[in-house]
Amino acid sequence: MSVPVRLLLALMLALIPEGASAHSVFGITGFSGGLLHPLLVPAHFLAVAALALLIGQQQWPHRVPMAYAAALVAGLGAIAMAYVPDFAEDGVLVFGGIAGLLVALARPLPWVLGALLAAAIGAMQALDSPPEAITLTEANLTLLGTAVSAVIVLVTLARIASLPHQPWQKIAVRILGSWIAACAILVLALKFSR
Amino acid sequence: MVILPVVFPLVMATGGVLGIAGVPLPGVEIGIAVSAAVLGMMVALAARPSLWVAALIVGVFAVFHGYAHGAELPPGADALSFSAGFVIATGCLHLTGIAFGLLVRWPAGLIAVRAMGGIIALAGLLFLGRLV
Repeated sequence: MSVPVRLLLALMLALIPEGASAHSVFGITGFSGGLLHPLLVPAHFLAVAALALLIGQQQWPHRVPMAYAAALVAGLGAIAMAYVPDFAEDGVLVFGGIAGLLVALARPLPWVLGALLAAAIGAMQALDSPPEAITLTEANLTLLGTAVSAVIVLVTLARIASLPHQPWQKIAVRILGSWIAACAILVLALKFSR
Repeated sequence: MVILPVVFPLVMATGGVLGIAGVPLPGVEIGIAVSAAVLGMMVALAARPSLWVAALIVGVFAVFHGYAHGAELPPGADALSFSAGFVIATGCLHLTGIAFGLLVRWPAGLIAVRAMGGIIALAGLLFLGRLV
């Protein structure tokens, strides 16, 4: 069993105790709530999925996920300092849409561009993840859970996205990227029209 | 094989943006009915146009379909849920059509696919007749 799959299973096992409680999914706070956040916020999951598809498609080095993780941590640090910008959700959609478009294009791209895009997505995702907690400890645990989960999800999906070798599989990846970009375009259009 | 399914969602999204923005686009329903008639006829006749012709046809029709989705968003609806929902539903329909189209590798399957194209073309003409 590969390392990313093991990490994903560990993440799922870490969620089981909370899942057995009487709390609703969206009522879960603390570290477990943070773990769930990147999975349950549609815009975040789309952006991370698009970035993961791009990383896997381009076969970029580990520096790109590391750039994502660094920016994510920096953004969560800003959140901890009570900096919560309004533009973060739009930023997630914009950069996620860009990642989807690049997947659809399937042109060779330098890893530096990937690192910049990954950092942008990580930062926006972090800034759009203010914890809903009462105590400072619970808030920090939520942020920690968000960071751990987001990086695991990205690494796991990127590993899966690097597996396709058959032509039809590579086409399917491009189609997925196209659909993610279409989704982001529509949501942004809806947001700006209101 | 690659260009059409990759480009279609993006062009449809463009049409959706036009619908959301309220840009006037005459004959949306007629365009949708014509798309069914034309594409169904092409399947029935087993037409094999050049790539740029196919891309042009699909692109034009995708704008009409996307526009209809964008213009029909219920007020107050959650934007991402609506978009994700119709993107997923459209994708599933495409997968269904592609899967059905794979039947052409068998003689009976080829007949079935072309017959389905004929049925779709007739349905498109029926809708067109009701609109005109």
